[in-house]
Amino acid sequence: MKKTGISIFLILFLSGILSADTLTLSFFQNVTDNLFQSKVAEPDHLSNLSFSVDKNFSPFSVFAFGNFSYLFENSDITYYTQDLGLDYLHPLADKTALYFSLTGRGNFYQSDYSDYNYLSLNFFMALKSYLSQTSILKSNYAFEFKNYKTSLYDFLSHSFLLSIDKYFQTRTTVKAEMNWGYKYFLHPYQSAGLTTVVEVPFLHGGMGKGKHPGGSYSLLYAPTASTQDGGEGIQVLSLTTLIAQGLGNKVGLNITGMRQWVLSGENPFVFIQEFYMVENPSYDRFSWEGFQLGSQLTFLGPGNIELKMGYTYSNKEFPGIESLSLDGDPLGVTRKDQRKRVELSVKKDFSSFSLYLSYSFINNHSNDPYFDWKGNFFSVGVSWNHFFGGGK
Amino acid sequence: MRCKTIFSLLFLSLIFSCFIFGQKPQHFYNVDSEIKVEGTILEIIMEPRYKGTAPFLVIKLEEKNTHGLYNVEVSPGWFFDYDFHKGEHLTIVGSLYTTDGKTQNIIAREVRIRGETLVLRDKHGFPNWRGGQMDRKGQKRGKGMKKF
Repeated sequence: MKKTGISIFLILFLSGILSADTLTLSFFQNVTDNLFQSKVAEPDHLSNLSFSVDKNFSPFSVFAFGNFSYLFENSDITYYTQDLGLDYLHPLADKTALYFSLTGRGNFYQSDYSDYNYLSLNFFMALKSYLSQTSILKSNYAFEFKNYKTSLYDFLSHSFLLSIDKYFQTRTTVKAEMNWGYKYFLHPYQSAGLTTVVEVPFLHGGMGKGKHPGGSYSLLYAPTASTQDGGEGIQVLSLTTLIAQGLGNKVGLNITGMRQWVLSGENPFVFIQEFYMVENPSYDRFSWEGFQLGSQLTFLGPGNIELKMGYTYSNKEFPGIESLSLDGDPLGVTRKDQRKRVELSVKKDFSSFSLYLSYSFINNHSNDPYFDWKGNFFSVGVSWNHFFGGGK
Repeated sequence: MRCKTIFSLLFLSLIFSCFIFGQKPQHFYNVDSEIKVEGTILEIIMEPRYKGTAPFLVIKLEEKNTHGLYNVEVSPGWFFDYDFHKGEHLTIVGSLYTTDGKTQNIIAREVRIRGETLVLRDKHGFPNWRGGQMDRKGQKRGKGMKKF
């Protein structure tokens, strides 16, 4: 009875959301030969089905986004994400506007990964202003609070971005960006002086294939000697420059360079893991320092087919993370990764839907042998838009 | 079992909402007056255009060959999502209408710039943009690759 009530409520609730002005449905099929991005390459297929709706109540709009991801080989980490939010666009002058959004999110995994279920609250504020007709100033602030089922990962973060660009008559755009961020793990250490390692059940796909702690797909957490009870804050600063060159209306080229520093704090984890398409609480932009160089060529071909080719090189060091041998012995050096990535994507827009195709190859060289890996990633998808409203 | 339940809920919600809220036929995009214009941006402004919507990004465009002037209505969202500058070259596909008997306006359906196509409306003129304006974090999961 209770279940039926909840179902009816959910149907009505979702139906209300779907009374929106716009509805977008997407389906993507992704294939990889290295889901967990490690030496123990494990192939998998991921299906993503998502919807996105908006309802405009000028100047506000309400939006919802849902995404269901199914993993064929590792179905125990299949997950569903639901966003619900409100945003607001306000013009301050004819060339300046302010934007706010407030979003709540829930992320729910199947049983084996359910320790990483979380609820989050995000606030985003952005200002965009034309300093002149050829120069734009942008500034934004983001706040995020995440509450995990396993409270070790709970955090709040603040990010501030300032960017300025200038367009030249040679069809060149030069952009400079500064990004500051602070992430505070609320209680990553169980108690001061604890020396044991807490093992949290993580992923069991491929378990036991390697002797490296990561090989068991368990996320290990160990407090450091200098750590006291309480939180751990990580402060980062990054500078980015971008040069974009238009070559007619059909070709665009851009080159970016980014340098990031960790100003204070370090990762509270034993090691950092990244997964393909599945969020991992140990990895994000706060977990590394180093630099990244990238280039991308965009070409608008016959039939309006959009083609993008890109190459990225990154050199990242993970403060607080010591490299381990495949036997799990400390190597006495901080983990450092050099990554080369080549990507190719094709997009074709039709009247109410779009088709996507993309391929990436990544070669990640690390001084932690377990994270010395290569991987191929392939994705194909379709996205369909529908407008329910009465036009303008 | 849980997957089945989620799928069922989503499916039922979609069906239910379609019954309640059908598409309203009224709109102002005239497909018969659709044109394609290639030109250069002269000015960018943001101004209220329609009741009940956020202010629109409007581009004043000079046509490449005839030097004719057009006010191109882009959308509310693109003001934040894409950075247009004075002097940039672009191609617009959209519906033409005139006001005051002389001012030429285009409701943009498609913008081609720097090797990219920004699709703003479907072929009937219904908006494709999401009312929430910004490219919200996490929404693009599944569209190609996650950032590595």
